[in-house]
Amino acid sequence: MNKIAQNKINLERIFITGIGIITSLGESPDENRIALKQGKCGITDLELVQTRYAGKIPFGEIKINTETLKNQLKATESGVTRTSLLALHAFEQAINDAKLSVREITSSETAFINASTVGGMCLTDELYKDANNLSIKSSYLSSYDFGSVAIYLQQRYQIRGIVNSINTACSSSANAIMYGARLIKNGYAKRVIVGGTDSIAKFTLNGFNSLMILSPEICTPFDNNRKGLNLGEGAAYLVLEAEETCKSKHVYAELTGFANTNDAFHPSSLSIEGDGPFLAMKNTLDVANLTPSKIDFINAHGTGTENNDEVESRAMLRLFEKVPSFASTKSNIGHTLGASGAIEAVYSVLNIMHQEIYPNLGFENPIESTKLTPVLSYSKKEISHVLSNSFGFGGNCSSLLFSKI
Amino acid sequence: MLYIHSTSCISAQHTFDDVNFDVLNPVVENKLVAVEPNSNQIPNAVLRRMGKAVRMGIKAALSIVNNQSELKGIIIGTANGGMEDCIKFLNQIIDYDEGTLTPTNFVQSTANNIAAQIGLFTSNKNYNITHVHRGLAFENAVIDAMMLVKEHPNSTFLLGGVDEISTYNYTISLLDGLYKNEEGKNNDLYETETAGSVAGEGAAMFLVNGKKQNAQATLKAIQTIHTTDEITVEANLKDFLATHLADGEKLDLFLSGENGDSRLSKYTKITEKIADITTLRYKHLTGEFPTASALSLWFACNFIETQKVPTNMVKSGSIPTEINTILIYNNYTGIQHSFMLVSR
Repeated sequence: MNKIAQNKINLERIFITGIGIITSLGESPDENRIALKQGKCGITDLELVQTRYAGKIPFGEIKINTETLKNQLKATESGVTRTSLLALHAFEQAINDAKLSVREITSSETAFINASTVGGMCLTDELYKDANNLSIKSSYLSSYDFGSVAIYLQQRYQIRGIVNSINTACSSSANAIMYGARLIKNGYAKRVIVGGTDSIAKFTLNGFNSLMILSPEICTPFDNNRKGLNLGEGAAYLVLEAEETCKSKHVYAELTGFANTNDAFHPSSLSIEGDGPFLAMKNTLDVANLTPSKIDFINAHGTGTENNDEVESRAMLRLFEKVPSFASTKSNIGHTLGASGAIEAVYSVLNIMHQEIYPNLGFENPIESTKLTPVLSYSKKEISHVLSNSFGFGGNCSSLLFSKI
Repeated sequence: MLYIHSTSCISAQHTFDDVNFDVLNPVVENKLVAVEPNSNQIPNAVLRRMGKAVRMGIKAALSIVNNQSELKGIIIGTANGGMEDCIKFLNQIIDYDEGTLTPTNFVQSTANNIAAQIGLFTSNKNYNITHVHRGLAFENAVIDAMMLVKEHPNSTFLLGGVDEISTYNYTISLLDGLYKNEEGKNNDLYETETAGSVAGEGAAMFLVNGKKQNAQATLKAIQTIHTTDEITVEANLKDFLATHLADGEKLDLFLSGENGDSRLSKYTKITEKIADITTLRYKHLTGEFPTASALSLWFACNFIETQKVPTNMVKSGSIPTEINTILIYNNYTGIQHSFMLVSR
């Protein structure tokens, strides 16, 4: 943020010039898109995480073990966690896709905003031993916290602009995207790399299990008989650039709206009126100066829990006279927590790039009280504006709006 | 530019309600444990379920939020959030071999719980965020607040930094070399030429907006840097002062994040030389933790408001007759650095 005029909020448009992603559906935007089109599901029995729930509850696990990831990514330094490796994979893809030069990446006008809810806690057993001082210290002592991922990537790429890590539970990476866009609008950066990462951890797995919201079967968002969510893992990053800095570049889409609100109701569930989700969507449209009728598609949060899907449906009914086409990709990849906002941002960009929508899997009957039916099959569709929702524990609700250029 | 209107601070010293710098609470077993005030705003049954970070955060916040409806956002910086609850839950997982566990510790452990609980207690449905970028978690919250104030010039926001010492993060950080192995007293902290500091914890909260009238202090500028190179720190600080000090404006005080870790003295030495003014330090009072810089901002606001400086914080130079402009420097483990410029 050196010497950049910070006097006035500029009305700079925010363009998306690069995307990178890894999920249980695939290791690139193309692989993810093909799988989404075909209605594929990446939720399976666990093979890599050691837990007594392996084989009993399905997960959106990426079937590449951590050692292989390290070798593939040439990240064999000690102390690098799976969460950081997934991040590195998607980050590298995004900056290459945006054709950022080393000079651009290391410019003080390039910021990096990461989100994660697990951080290095994916190493649950190592953390247990270190925290309780039970054995010789591990090589992960400075890798457990949430900031460790961003600090690793900052050091690896010598990023000199603002670097930040955000944790607002399941809306974390939507807020990372929003913070990055605001850095550009406020003159603190000219380009930002934004997104999030989370890997499956024994810690979160048992946490969600103790709340009794893990589905024993593959989740069925917005279905009347839904039984909860599946946890997944993944990472996604986007390169956002100010309009003036990417004049000659290929632009995928524009980030036209964003909002962060709080439901202020309960630490781990949403209010039945859904004030938080409603306000997040409404304020996002206000930022973009759009009426609800302009929205062509909603990438819903749709976790498959009793609470979320009903509340989100109510909030959509409150805001939209006629609820637009909507779907959740949680039935493809599970809930990737801190990564989900960024992963779904990439999916929203794919919707716009290819003018198409992907089906919500596992749906049979609409929720009795709200009677909404999500998109059930792949189709081409004219898409100008996609709204993407991310709601989390602590009442943290955020929405983002992506628009066709 | 951020105008600071109300502040509160919970630390190991008497910084809450009746501020008293004459009584010094000592370092015990290399820790400076925060003195927790009583609260009649939160039912005991609710407080019992909360970890210390959440309790400190919410008590510090509620003490300055008078008019809840004016608050347009809650912006918290915390590196670890509820670490104690986090490891308690982790211990349950291992000790009970992933059996049937109670979710209380899990829900309390999420880093965004402090901001969320403040939102819940003040029924605040506006902007709510938690920055967790280790030693720059609070600084990123400051940058966020600065942007919000510019975006919403007529609104007021709650800005804060909170972290707790838990048995577990103490162990992890001790193994990682962040704390001294030998025990010492507060005033010895800077004398021992060994690695590590003493552990600390606390919460500082600020009501901020874009209105100059009746403000207690002004946060004029902030900069964050990731580097291990002291020459880069030096160049950036020179640049920072050249950019943000007005013509004829001079520093009255330098508030240094010196923490007694011999490995980090190269950074404090070089920044002290550039500031070239009366140097103060505070970590013998608060201990070291990732969001200690939130407390340093509280100290700076206090000095400007009272026009007084406790003598036991002075490292070098004389106390100025008038305190108008303060430079704050902090670094965390020598990889994350920040400058803040605070003025009347």
